[in-house]
Amino acid sequence: MKSRKLLWLVTFAAISLFAAFYLFSNGEAETPQKPLARVSVVDSTKCIAPKEFMRANHMQVLHGWERSVVRDGDRVHIASNGSRFQKSLGTCLGCHNNRLFCFSCHSYANVKPKCWNCHLSPMETQ
Amino acid sequence: MMNEQRREFIKKTALGVFVGLGAASGLVPAFSLEKTALPVWDEKPVPGKIRWGMLIDTRKCKEGCQQCVAACHHEHNVPAFKNRREEIRWIWKNSYKNVFPTADNAGASKEIQSRTFLSLCNHCADSPCTQICPTGATFKRWDGIVEIDYHRCIGCRFCMPACPYGSLSFNWQDPRTAIVDPVTAYPTREQGVVEKCNFCSDRLIKGLQPACVEVCPEQALVFGDLNDPASDIRVLLESNVTMQRKPELGTKPSVFYII
Repeated sequence: MKSRKLLWLVTFAAISLFAAFYLFSNGEAETPQKPLARVSVVDSTKCIAPKEFMRANHMQVLHGWERSVVRDGDRVHIASNGSRFQKSLGTCLGCHNNRLFCFSCHSYANVKPKCWNCHLSPMETQ
Repeated sequence: MMNEQRREFIKKTALGVFVGLGAASGLVPAFSLEKTALPVWDEKPVPGKIRWGMLIDTRKCKEGCQQCVAACHHEHNVPAFKNRREEIRWIWKNSYKNVFPTADNAGASKEIQSRTFLSLCNHCADSPCTQICPTGATFKRWDGIVEIDYHRCIGCRFCMPACPYGSLSFNWQDPRTAIVDPVTAYPTREQGVVEKCNFCSDRLIKGLQPACVEVCPEQALVFGDLNDPASDIRVLLESNVTMQRKPELGTKPSVFYII
């Protein structure tokens, strides 16, 4: 009996929380985004290159991205099949959003890349 | 026995519902690593086309107001080390005598000499810091911004004495320990690199004004393209008497002051 009461209480709390946050987040979503001129279509549903290539060469790809974005301001990556991606760690990790995506391999291979000394690692954001 | 299991089941279900709802509503933060922001420009920029500059109307700048400083330092995860020797500054207020040490004081009134003036990186057109940097980490961007590539900085600190305005700070220790209210949209720096104002290149790419310009309650700061004769900043520069810091050094600063 006691647990049934508790369950009702919890359900009520959950629904009211949900309603409150639904309204809250809806309000945020409704604020119109400032229209950006000449925005490229960024396709983040696909990988930029085949898995095998990325496994062996992701560090060169990322280093190339870092160099061309910071030094030349060239922010758009055009893949071999013509799809466009923004050169950003967020582009990779937006899709590969398992928080252990980077770390599981790196710890197995005992490599310590310095990305997360400055950039926020997926481990810190979750 | 049966009851015990049921009790556990209810407990766990309730917990699951809570966590699930929390994640859905943003209470438990979902994945939020430096979000991909669509740039305003998707083409490779043309070097030398734009030269960003700033005009500071010090007559409007309120004494004691620190809003621009706070906004800048918050936006860019600038650590707040209390110790003066380890202090990191991107933008700060300083006395007349320190901001314009080589200006002839004969014309400056007592009132002017007692005021404080904003100082930040001048993004010089002829910048000594970029010329001295041995790794090319401090470099002149295509749009006139003097940027530090933290990937390349080796922390030699040559740029610090090379800069005649003292605009650079060195990370003597891990800055992450002293960031008061970290933002996820911008990276931090690491121990052993030099840092300074970046003219909000991270905001410009999104089509926004620099944080200090946006937050100023008196609209004392004007930001724009010095190469565009029709820009607000050019119009104001042409219609006002303005001053640069240490102009006799020939560094050609992009930050101008109306005294």
